[in-house]
Amino acid sequence: MSELTHGFRIIPEDCTGCMSCMRACPTHAIRVKRGGATVIPELCIDCGSCLGVCATGAITATTITFAELDRFKYKVAVASPALFTQFGMKDTPAQVGQALLALGFDAVWKYAVDIELIDRAIRDYVQKWPGPFPLISNSCPVVVRLVQVIYPTMVGQLIRIEAPREIAGRELKRHYSQMMGLTPEDIAAIYIAPCQAKTISILHPAEGAGSHLDGAVSISQIYNDLLARMRKAPDGASAGKPEAGAGEWFISGSPEGEFPSLSREHYLPLQGLSDIIKVLNDVEKGKIRNVEFLECHACQGACIGGNLTVENLYIARSKYLRLVAARTDPSPEFLGEVDRRFAEEDFALRAPLKPRNTEGKDVDLRQRVERKKKASEYLKALPLLNCGLCGAPTCRSHADDAAMGRDDIRECVFLSPDRIDVLRDVYRRGGRHGG
Amino acid sequence: MPAELMRESYPIQGGDFDTAGEISGELKTILRDLGIEAGSLRRIVVVAFEAEMNVVMYARRGTLTFILTDDAVDLEIRDDGPGIPDLELAFQEGYSTASDEMRELGFGFGMGLPNMRKNSDDLRVETEVGKGTTVFARIRLDAHE
Ligand SMILES: Nc1ncnc2c1ncn2[C@@H]1O[C@H](COP(=O)(O)OP(=O)(O)OP(=O)(O)O)[C@@H](O)[C@H]1O
Ligand SMILES: [Mg+2]
Repeated sequence: MSELTHGFRIIPEDCTGCMSCMRACPTHAIRVKRGGATVIPELCIDCGSCLGVCATGAITATTITFAELDRFKYKVAVASPALFTQFGMKDTPAQVGQALLALGFDAVWKYAVDIELIDRAIRDYVQKWPGPFPLISNSCPVVVRLVQVIYPTMVGQLIRIEAPREIAGRELKRHYSQMMGLTPEDIAAIYIAPCQAKTISILHPAEGAGSHLDGAVSISQIYNDLLARMRKAPDGASAGKPEAGAGEWFISGSPEGEFPSLSREHYLPLQGLSDIIKVLNDVEKGKIRNVEFLECHACQGACIGGNLTVENLYIARSKYLRLVAARTDPSPEFLGEVDRRFAEEDFALRAPLKPRNTEGKDVDLRQRVERKKKASEYLKALPLLNCGLCGAPTCRSHADDAAMGRDDIRECVFLSPDRIDVLRDVYRRGGRHGG
Repeated sequence: MPAELMRESYPIQGGDFDTAGEISGELKTILRDLGIEAGSLRRIVVVAFEAEMNVVMYARRGTLTFILTDDAVDLEIRDDGPGIPDLELAFQEGYSTASDEMRELGFGFGMGLPNMRKNSDDLRVETEVGKGTTVFARIRLDAHE
C-alpha cells in the first residue's frame, strides 16, 4: 500500500506508551499495545497532532536531509511564505532569500505570481461550479486526507485546482531549463515546508499523480543555518546567483491562500482541525446552507502555525501582518505576467481525488454488517469510559477492533481485571522506560 | 425480495434545533463505516436529514427507521404531527409554511420535499390531516453517477 505512506515514524525505543498521541489523534488512528504506539495507516491523515504532544520525541516527521539534495544539478528553493514570518521584525524576505542562496540553493523562486494565479483559478472555479456546495479548499493536504478518510461523500467538493507550490515547481523548471540550457529533469524544485503534511504530499503524493516538486525540507530543519547566514555579512557564496521569479515576495492574501476577493457571506475561512470537523459535520448533514466555499487550514493560524515552523504563532502573525502592510501595489509587470500565464496555463489537478478509507472494506457488505452488529454487541459490555487502558482511544474503537479481529475484546480491564497486573508490569514506575 | 441485512429505529425529538440532525448524522456514521459507496451515502443522508428536519419543525415527534438490504436502503420516517393538507403544493419548490424563526436558522426554503424526491429512487408520502405523516424512501446502492 504505497499510497498510504505517512509523514511520521514512531521510534519504538523512545516510545514510553504514555498514550498522549492516541488521545490526541482526531481520526482515532493510533493504538498503544504493550507500551508502544502504532498507527493504522488507513486512518492517519498526517495532521501532526501526535507529533505535537509526544513528550519524548518518539514521533518524528519524515523529511529528506539537506545532504540528499546534492544529487541535483540545479536546486531552486520554493519557500512557503510562512518562512518569511519566522525571523526578526527587521529581517526582510530578500535577506531570507540571500541566506537560502548562501545555504547552497542555486536560486530562490519568488512565487507571488503563482499564488495570484491560483487565487484567480479558484475564484473562477467557485463561480462556475454548478454544485453541490460548499466547495472545500485543497491546498492543505491534511484537509484533503481528512475529507478522503472521514467525509467520503464530500470528496467531489474538494476543489480540483493545483496548489500554488505545485504550479511554482512546474513554472520554475520551465524557466530555469530554458535559462540555463538544462533539461527540466536536471532542475530540482525544493519546497521549504511549514509542516510534514506538505512534505509527504511531495515525497509520496497520495493521488499517484506525482508532484512538480522534487523534495522538501522543513523550516525547522534549516532554521538555525539560515539564521546564522542572515546574521553574517554576505560572504560571496551567493554572489552571482540569480534571484529570480517575477516581482514581489508578498501579495494580498495570507500565506498559501485566503480569498478576500470572495464575498464574505458565501465564504468561510476555517482554521484548526477540531473546528473544521465541526463545520464539515454540519455540512454533511445539510445544516450549512448558502456557503459556497470553505477555506480550511488544519493548523491554527494556517501555514504560519505549521508544526515544522519555529516561531511562536502570534509573533509570526504580527510579522506577517507587517510584511503585508509593507507591500506595495502590484507592478504592471507583475499583473502582466499573471494575465499572460493565466491565459496560457492549465491549473486543473491532474489526478482524480477519491475516498481513501479502505479500512475493513476487504469483505462484502453482508460480512461488514455482521462485523458492525458484533461491534455493537461488544460495545454493550464496555464501560464507555474511554480510559484507553485496552490500548484503543475509545470503547467504541476497541469494540470495532475486536469485531474486525484486530484485538481481543477481553483486553478491557473491566472484562479482565487481571489485565491490570500485566499493565502494571509494562508501566512499572511511571513509564515503560522509567525506573 | 432481497434479504434484510440490518434494521434500526430512532426516535426523533421535535422542536429542538440544537440536536436536530443528530439522527441523520448517526445514520451517516453507521453507513459510512459499512463502506456504503459515497454517491449513495450522500443521497441517503440528504433524504434522512430533510425528513428528520420536517419532523422537528412541523410534527415535534416521530421515528426514523432504516432498513439495509443487499442493494438498497429503505428509510421510513413516521410522525404523529398535523399532516399535510395539500401534498402536491407541499412538493412545489419554494412552498413553505415555516415560521420566521425557522427561516432565520436557514430553513424554510421549501426545498426539503423536492430534494428528497430528487435524491431517492422511490419516494412515497402518506399523510392524514390531524393524524400524521409517513415518508417512505428507497435509495439504491449501485452507483448513481
Ligand atoms: N412531516 C410534516 N408534517 C407536517 N407538515 C409538513 C411535514 N413535512 C413537510 N410539511 C409541509 O410541507 C411544506 C414543505 O416542506 P419542505 O420540506 O419541502 O419545505 P420546508 O420544510 O418548508 O423548507 P426546507 O425544507 O427548505 O427547510 C412545509 O413547509 C410544511 O408545511
Ligand atoms: Mg423541510
